[in-house]
Amino acid sequence: MTTVANRSKAGRAGDAPPARPTRRRTRPGTGTSRPWLLLLPALVVMAGLLLWPMVQVVLLSLQNFGLRELVTGRTRWIGLDNYTALLSDPNLWQIVLPNTVVFAIVAVLATVVVGTLVALLLNRLGTVSRGLVTTAILVAWALPAVTGTYVWVFLFTPGDGIAVQALDAIGLLDATTANPFADRVSFYVIALLNVVHHGFPFVALTVLAGLMTIPNELNEAAVIDGAGAWRRFWSLTFPTLRPVFAVVTVLSTIWDFKVFTQIYLMPGGDGVNRSVLNLGTWSYVESFAQNKYGLGAAIAVLLTVVLLVITMGYLRLLFKEDEL
Amino acid sequence: MSRTGSRGVRRIGVAVLAAAALAVAGCSSGGGDQAPAGGGPVNGAGQTLRMWIMEGTNPDPKPYVDELSAAFEKQTGAKLEVEFLQWKTGHDKFTTAIAGGTTPDVAEVGTTWLSEFGTAGAFADLTQRVESAGLGDGLVKGLEEAGRIDGSLYGLPWYAGVRSVVYRKDVFAELGINPPTTWAEIVAAGQKIKAAKPDMLPFPIAGDNEFAVYPFVWAAGGDIATKNGDKWVAALDTPQARAGIQFYADLALKNGFSTPAAATWRETDLRDAFTKGQAAMIISGNWTPKALVEAAPELQGKIGAFSLPGENGGLAPAVLGGSLLSVFEGSKNQDLAWELVKLMGTGEFAEKWSTSSGYFPGTTALLQQAAQSTDPLVAPFAKQMVDAGRAVPVSPAFGQIQAKKTVATMMRSILTGEQTVEQATTAATAEMNTLFSSS
Repeated sequence: MTTVANRSKAGRAGDAPPARPTRRRTRPGTGTSRPWLLLLPALVVMAGLLLWPMVQVVLLSLQNFGLRELVTGRTRWIGLDNYTALLSDPNLWQIVLPNTVVFAIVAVLATVVVGTLVALLLNRLGTVSRGLVTTAILVAWALPAVTGTYVWVFLFTPGDGIAVQALDAIGLLDATTANPFADRVSFYVIALLNVVHHGFPFVALTVLAGLMTIPNELNEAAVIDGAGAWRRFWSLTFPTLRPVFAVVTVLSTIWDFKVFTQIYLMPGGDGVNRSVLNLGTWSYVESFAQNKYGLGAAIAVLLTVVLLVITMGYLRLLFKEDEL
Repeated sequence: MSRTGSRGVRRIGVAVLAAAALAVAGCSSGGGDQAPAGGGPVNGAGQTLRMWIMEGTNPDPKPYVDELSAAFEKQTGAKLEVEFLQWKTGHDKFTTAIAGGTTPDVAEVGTTWLSEFGTAGAFADLTQRVESAGLGDGLVKGLEEAGRIDGSLYGLPWYAGVRSVVYRKDVFAELGINPPTTWAEIVAAGQKIKAAKPDMLPFPIAGDNEFAVYPFVWAAGGDIATKNGDKWVAALDTPQARAGIQFYADLALKNGFSTPAAATWRETDLRDAFTKGQAAMIISGNWTPKALVEAAPELQGKIGAFSLPGENGGLAPAVLGGSLLSVFEGSKNQDLAWELVKLMGTGEFAEKWSTSSGYFPGTTALLQQAAQSTDPLVAPFAKQMVDAGRAVPVSPAFGQIQAKKTVATMMRSILTGEQTVEQATTAATAEMNTLFSSS
């Protein structure tokens, strides 16, 4: 990205920097090969750890690969059958994708909004209170997803959960008959609370780091010009922190899209309640739990493609063409 | 380029040859020159055998493992290395070990896993060894059934468990109720409890608890699936099976013995409700009474058990679950491994395991002994197991059906009122048949 930007800027300026050709003349070839040489160790490691498994996953997705193949080491190529089976499953279109996409959109929005609000709050606090609040939200972040999920499940336990009792007290539901995990919407509301609770600290701290780089003079100048808090956020803070928001949004999207633990551990989330399956739990139940590894690989490939497309869309949206 | 290429190829060739040589050497030292199975003791001096056991079956397995290792080393000279696996992650661990070639020599295998991994060729055929050791006739039938694939035996029955009903003796005594012996009596008992103790759940029905459903299906004359030739056909949509499921669901729906929350409960939630003093009767395993009292010491002396009755008396057939001991096909020490399996699955050590774990042994001789027990928290289970123990369909597809939670899904949608018994059983049968025919 940076090289492209530099070059285009240089091109616009009209004259190429003279240092480069000079260096090239003295040591032919090294100018272009040296960066690659320096990058080589990292690239080799990346290829070994990322590229090779990805190639394997794609190959696996074209096979009928179960326990028998695992034991014997034989391969059965079936072309695109796994993909056809997946894409023709009505559950995918009626339940799994809507659950996943709607949940991801809402969760990303909520996480980023809550995280930004907390960051703005932290930015205004004094050292001591900032330390206190930071510690408090770090605890939420440090909590493993499994533990956090059990806490939320515990709060909403039908009958005697604290949250259920509270909702009963204000007359929103009847604690003796209600089961918040049985219904699709209430199930995902609880999952949303859990995921946002677990995800917002990262956003808050990242945005706070960005906020602290904005010179105070800018803010003061805006105040003198008569800009309110709302105006200052959208005209000053947001444009400055756009790269930060891009990073937290993309990362949150990836995390919330493939959320698994938080759903799987909730009552009914492990496939018993079919109406709450999402991509993560569905792919686990359909492939790995049933030893259909080829099918699981196909789901992984599809998920990667979908996430790539979404991420690219985001980046285009957040950066104007010339900034890329 | 071409030079490095050919050198690379040559190197790979050497490596393959070396590997092949090692493999051949491994075979000859492992299998061929040992004493034949059933003959004299196998000499395993200087060797180490690896074994996987499931955690949680036995509350404190350490003394058993120590004694076993000592006895095994004395008998064969080989050392024993035991690793404990969680039930939850055990299945994945088996799979990854098979993929990575890091399987142990011996493993405890749950009854429902055996056909899955066995059909895939992961285990060694033990038929010949079991026969020549004279063990063929003394195995507990339900477990042996689970261990057989196409007539061959791939695991030696180790221990078994069964579910009956655990109830509150004090509540029954207070209200003058006798342990039910028919389905009508279950309903009558529940109604009495409901009237006298409105805060108590007389008989909670957990949605995600398939092993509690099957006894009612079987007792009503239905079946989970029937075998036609070598093909399984799901049978939950027969009138008999539906009647059983209807009765079971009606304990919650019509009689109100349960709570709507239980639609998403698992078996463990039933036990939680019981230890919190909220439930009067639960379907529970023979291994649980001890743990229930440990979790709620105030229930000491207030817990009883009765065999789950059939509709008009007798016993309802109950799912016989448990584990077998299998030798991995990848083991280089199959003779030695079999010695270990034999040591654990018969005689002194089999008895030790069952007494310390609270499960029933896998050989009929030992099981008969256990069935004589007069312990009121053992006898009802023993009776249910010996007289009415039954196996779930032995097919890899049934493992898939369990993984897909087909029956739990069915029960959940019945208990939440989303579907009628007829609709839910039709859907479950269709899904089961798809899986039976695809594997």
